[in-house]
Amino acid sequence: MQIRIPSAAHFLTTDIIMQNSRPVHRFRNKCVRILIPLIFWLGIWQIAAMTAGFQLLLPTPVAVIRVLLGLAATASFWQSIVLSLGRVLCGLILGCVLGCALAVLTWRFRWADLLFSPVIRVIRATPVVSFILLVYLWVARADIPEVISALMVMPVIWNSLRTGLETADRQLLEMAKAYRFSPLKTLRLIWLPSLRPHLASGLSTGLGLAWKSGIAAEVICPPRYAIGTELSKAKTALQSPKLYAWTVTIVILSLTLESVLKWVLRPRQKDSGDREKT
Amino acid sequence: MSVLCIENLTFSYANRTVLDQFSLTIPLTGMTAISGPSGCGKTTLLRLLAGLEKPVLGTITGISQKRIAILFQEDRLLPWRTVREHILDVLPNDRSEDADGWLTFAELEDSADLYPAELSGGMARRLALARCCALGGELLLLDEPFAGVDAARRTRIIERLSSQRVPMLLATHEPDVVEACQRQIILDGPPLQIVSH
Repeated sequence: MQIRIPSAAHFLTTDIIMQNSRPVHRFRNKCVRILIPLIFWLGIWQIAAMTAGFQLLLPTPVAVIRVLLGLAATASFWQSIVLSLGRVLCGLILGCVLGCALAVLTWRFRWADLLFSPVIRVIRATPVVSFILLVYLWVARADIPEVISALMVMPVIWNSLRTGLETADRQLLEMAKAYRFSPLKTLRLIWLPSLRPHLASGLSTGLGLAWKSGIAAEVICPPRYAIGTELSKAKTALQSPKLYAWTVTIVILSLTLESVLKWVLRPRQKDSGDREKT
Repeated sequence: MSVLCIENLTFSYANRTVLDQFSLTIPLTGMTAISGPSGCGKTTLLRLLAGLEKPVLGTITGISQKRIAILFQEDRLLPWRTVREHILDVLPNDRSEDADGWLTFAELEDSADLYPAELSGGMARRLALARCCALGGELLLLDEPFAGVDAARRTRIIERLSSQRVPMLLATHEPDVVEACQRQIILDGPPLQIVSH
């Protein structure tokens, strides 16, 4: 019986088809892209932990996963996650509203630009820890994460939206005026689609900042139920596997939120302006 | 017969005077071609007539600027709107069924669902022209309306344009478009001046 050995070209062709064709193949490729590095780095972590042999400094991934599964079975774990998420999202929304309002105000009025722009730049340059300690003097402990997240998000949204407002196509706006579009129609047909990519980029950066600064605020000024509070407790009790387990939780939540936002803000087919001319 | 009367119009960009005491009277009927070398001030004149620029001196009488529709020198299409949506955007809600008629006018019936990035230069120009005509008004100011449009289509669209009962002022270089107009004004400049009327 003759066995036919596939040539290298065959594998290459199959690979190209896999990369370009059906959604099933795309999903498989995506899984491979995520799983291979994950397994590789978990392996490195396991070897390093076993070599160090000191759980307090570097627990093994197996120990961390075991603790994580244990935590996931408790109600307080989910309570902390939901409340932390709520605080961060509240801060994100507040930061977005403030950032948008200030962007429009500073773009539209010279006096507002003169008054607010330097303050926003100062906020952007101030370290988050300084803000947490300053805000602690003024705000109830439970509200600090929201305020800190909002303060960190606001300059990012302000900057993105301001750039969008400044770079909007003047010719399209003049067309809208000449063709007697109502202000609402101009907003819907020109302003919103023009600002969308700027807002998407600002929101994407803002979400990461809100999440990190919100958790940092929870660690420094711990509310009753919060991820930051749990991190702080684990650190104080020298429970390294628990500290790692909560960190893993934060990373998973952060990546999930980022993916959700990316999906929500994905460019629609009609938004792309780079298609070939017929 | 009503006339559009431009008297002593003066306008300049920074230190460059484009119109200096320019006067012209145009009957508000049929199609009037204005031609002249590039940069002589034709586009500025149309923009002044449409009220998009404010003159330093002079007056424009005979028509309200709110009743003028202008086709810009650039297409100014919205990348996120389809061909049909561009027409619908300028039509009042009770006249949305006219959209198909305007697509036929511009010979874009088969491209109704395409986006501007998918159109050729000529198609985009025809869409911009159809949108301006669909907006309508008591005077249409058309700046290079057939740039990039092939000769055969141009002839057919001019025929359709001339059957519209709206007076039009066309800034154009194409001899066949000029020929199709009832009158021609040849300009030179800057500053803008009438060579023949």
